[in-house]
Amino acid sequence: MTHEIHKVVKESGGLRIVIADSATSISEANKNDIVVDGSHCGANIAPDYVLPNGVRGMIGNDAGIGMENAGIASLKTLAEHGIPAAAVSSMSAEIGIGPSTYNDGIISTVNEVAKKMGVTTGMSAKEAADKMLAGISK
Amino acid sequence: MAGTTIIKQLGNRKIVVADSAAGMDEKFKGDVFVDGSHCGQNVGEMTIHNKMGAMIGNDAGMGKNKAGIAALKMCDEHGIPAAAVAAMSAKIGDGMSTYKDGQISVANETAKKIGVSAGMSAKEAADKLLESLAKSGK
Repeated sequence: MTHEIHKVVKESGGLRIVIADSATSISEANKNDIVVDGSHCGANIAPDYVLPNGVRGMIGNDAGIGMENAGIASLKTLAEHGIPAAAVSSMSAEIGIGPSTYNDGIISTVNEVAKKMGVTTGMSAKEAADKMLAGISK
Repeated sequence: MAGTTIIKQLGNRKIVVADSAAGMDEKFKGDVFVDGSHCGQNVGEMTIHNKMGAMIGNDAGMGKNKAGIAALKMCDEHGIPAAAVAAMSAKIGDGMSTYKDGQISVANETAKKIGVSAGMSAKEAADKLLESLAKSGK
């Protein structure tokens, strides 16, 4: 368990975009948030942190994608729950550092729900988070 | 929440496996912590804060500015042996995969002195670290 303070970068219609270094710091306080974090998007992230806390959108790091695409495994799980999610390329942002995901990150992978909201590969994480916010607000 | 599994004990030292470095806790002080997390800066902070005896994580493809292994140098500065497995050898986010499948890609200077080297299995590396810690009796 980590106890970091999240930075809120945007608020609109009861939804927020928040930045965290680690997905493990997600709590019930993040209900209805789009969380942009420095974590990988491995299989444990969706069931252990994102889904139980009512997070509405997630952007993390693809961790080089790695063995059996493990670095982005949570994207599919989240799509199955109707949650938009995307990962930034590990060469575009420093893993473990949430502000780097948000400020430097370039999207490498997008799940089906996020695609429908207009999130695409090559887009900045900032723009992707805005698209999610707009998409969820509709 | 991150679960933890004790794999092995030698003297008063253990090898603890967890999907996430967030499973680190002071109750594992002095133990070998093997996890599925990247070895980014925040994981270094957790390792040092919780006084782990040693740490093995995933290199997350190294990534931008080698952020995926930033913790290794930080651990060196605190005399903590640490190593990372290649993202292509183990599934990030899955601690048991780090332990069972992982191949060491990078070891920090402290771990190197204990005999941990690139190309070694994570299991063998963890055993070396456990033996060294048990022997030190610190």
